[in-house]
Amino acid sequence: MAKYEAKTSSYKIISLLGQGFDGKAEVHLAKYLPTNEMLAIKKFDMDKIKEEAQLVEREIILTRQLQHPRIISYHLAFVNGPSVWVISSLMAFGSCRDLLSRYFNDGLPENAIILILRDVLDALDYIHKKGFIHRAIKASHILISATGKACLTGLRYACPMVVNGKWQKSIHSFPASTAGNLNWLSPELLEQNLLGYNEKSDIYSVGITMCELANGQEPFAGTTTTLMLTEKVRGCAPQLLDCVTFPRGLALESSGDCDSKSIENRKFSEDLHSVAELCMQRDAYYRPTAEQLLTHPLFKSHKKSMPLPDLLKPALPMSDRVAYNKDDVTNLDTINRLSQMEIYTCEWDF
Amino acid sequence: MDKNMCNISKNISNDGGESENEIELSNRIFSVESDEELYPIPLENHNEIVDFEDELDAVNINNFFHRVDSDQIIYQSKKKKLKLIGKYVMGDMLGEGSYGKVKEMLDSETLCRRAVKIIKERKIRRIPNGEQNVQREIKLLRSLRHKNVIRLVDECYNSEKEKKYLIMEFCAGSLQGMLDSTPDKRLPHFQAHGYFLQLIDGLEYLHGKNVVHKDIKPGNLLITLEGDLKISDLGVAEIIDLFAEDTSVQGQGTPTFTPPEIANGLETFPGFKVDIWSSGVTLYNVVTGTYPFEGDSIFRLFENIGKGVFQIPEDIEDPLRNLLLGMMEKDPYDRLTLQQIRQHQWFTRKPAKHGNVVPLPALKGDQWHNMTTIPYLIDHYYDLPNDDYPDEHFYTEHQLNEERKKYQKDHSNGTSQQSNSSKRRWKKPISCMTVRNFPGCKQS
Repeated sequence: MAKYEAKTSSYKIISLLGQGFDGKAEVHLAKYLPTNEMLAIKKFDMDKIKEEAQLVEREIILTRQLQHPRIISYHLAFVNGPSVWVISSLMAFGSCRDLLSRYFNDGLPENAIILILRDVLDALDYIHKKGFIHRAIKASHILISATGKACLTGLRYACPMVVNGKWQKSIHSFPASTAGNLNWLSPELLEQNLLGYNEKSDIYSVGITMCELANGQEPFAGTTTTLMLTEKVRGCAPQLLDCVTFPRGLALESSGDCDSKSIENRKFSEDLHSVAELCMQRDAYYRPTAEQLLTHPLFKSHKKSMPLPDLLKPALPMSDRVAYNKDDVTNLDTINRLSQMEIYTCEWDF
Repeated sequence: MDKNMCNISKNISNDGGESENEIELSNRIFSVESDEELYPIPLENHNEIVDFEDELDAVNINNFFHRVDSDQIIYQSKKKKLKLIGKYVMGDMLGEGSYGKVKEMLDSETLCRRAVKIIKERKIRRIPNGEQNVQREIKLLRSLRHKNVIRLVDECYNSEKEKKYLIMEFCAGSLQGMLDSTPDKRLPHFQAHGYFLQLIDGLEYLHGKNVVHKDIKPGNLLITLEGDLKISDLGVAEIIDLFAEDTSVQGQGTPTFTPPEIANGLETFPGFKVDIWSSGVTLYNVVTGTYPFEGDSIFRLFENIGKGVFQIPEDIEDPLRNLLLGMMEKDPYDRLTLQQIRQHQWFTRKPAKHGNVVPLPALKGDQWHNMTTIPYLIDHYYDLPNDDYPDEHFYTEHQLNEERKKYQKDHSNGTSQQSNSSKRRWKKPISCMTVRNFPGCKQS
């Protein structure tokens, strides 16, 4: 914390990377002038946030409280006029949602999914053991560093499982401002009945996120919320789409902008399908814990795989692009690229 | 008979749609209370369709005019027709408030459960002070925001029907309901303590806003799924003038919880102390299962309250005994203040865990309090129109009895039913594949 100065003059804002929190927070690429280090600054517009200020507070406190290499760390947070600035390391590949929207419309390759998934489960295992439920696992809350490590973020939706010093068997609170996360939430959380939910709810969201990473879009995208609810309550389990689950013969009237050819031609491994299935079981009791999932054969077989940055090509880490012009960001080329990014990176929600 | 049934079913499908759940029943062949579950088809009068709205269990055979074989009584399951108020999906009735029905709702944007208080303006106008009280309550509710005070989330208005919809936080039951669900109508002390702390928190907030609730009682203390207590029903609440002395002039609360100063007909009295008294009576009631004052009539009751003498059962020991005496001090000026209650020994020390926690009682047989909006949504999204074969929606009383026996048998075996509502057990299960207008299956 002491390493960075809490004054705006120490930071040079270079470009807007994207928006988060329903447009109430902006993420900027910035340079820390004393060291010329590239950073990400998230500015919460407290005038727009108003009643949700508690969420911002909770996010900052909890993110500072949780110390894990697979969870984003905030170097510093301070108030600047009507906004709260949060300084963190630059996650150079942006969010997974970002990568999907820009480069992988039909989904990421299997090896990339496995690498990301393992990091997410690592973080989740830690969070659960610390007594919290994340409640917002989704691709836009998974950031990828320049070296290809995935970091979890979005902790403002998290809730403690320990209340009054006691570990609760189930939680009944319905997360506030959660409209943007509904498609990822588990049936038992959405049901809001007396049975409540526990950390296994996050495991369900991991399953949905796997579908999102594999298919390019989360299941139930574009579906009305109430239909999504009834589908989940009735136990409809989404799937990873490949030649097995999405046979050629299945004619679709409205395939949209998605290239169904590439879906029909690919095949995910049995293990990947099985992990997704395990995660999205209707009955939370049967879902494995994050720790159990990490012992799944899926993560043993992939060890020889390429590093994530290679798998993510043609996507390039942001620092590389800026690195050429570290001191001269007025370079036209960079400006062009950055401005292009502005258009696409609207899901940089961290 | 089959022909008749077909004719009837035509009738139903023609006008069943708008009959909804608002139709009030006069006596017909069956004088059964109602729920939106089943449609009986009277054998005597084919042209009349009677709207029943109640649990099967409420069917009272004794009320039939003449003996009918159970095979001859035919019901048709009434469709749970989806009804939207703004962005809210309407669910089943939760209870009846002083000014109208309270139903469950689902916010279709956030999928958060809500409750709605439906206020029929036409009805309100006939109640003395009705409109005034409602307006005051709404205005009050809008200005309040505390964890232990019911929150008004949204408001809708239907000018055609002259109905006001007050959308509030969803609560699963009331303290009164919990008391009623136990054999001796009381809670273990440690549980009562937890609720009492929350009641005092909520009261402190209200009093800080210069609001006197004036109708604190177990029936107005709602409990959420999380176990939070919410003070509700501010229908007779009063705002104390900041610049005048703390004196209240009206009393319209519930008699049993009325303090001596109101029972004795005093013209003015300190307002905040009214809530202290009724909170005391509430606590008394919750831990003993009885009331400190009773009377054959309201006059007798007020006479007893006016004397201010009451007994506390032997098993209530200090410091709780002392707290109750302090809260139900006859002279409002001697009565404890909220600050004094906070510092009281019983308040500050959590009682030992004796006895079992009393759970929220089941709502219409559903111990898990599942969303009642789901059946309406399922019907809307999945139920294929089956005009050609309406017979699968018909059930005879005989079949119902068999079902009921089976159901009870299942239940007594203690099989832990998963959350799926047992109500729709006669519906043919429709697989996910036959869903109509379901865009979610397709990858877009």
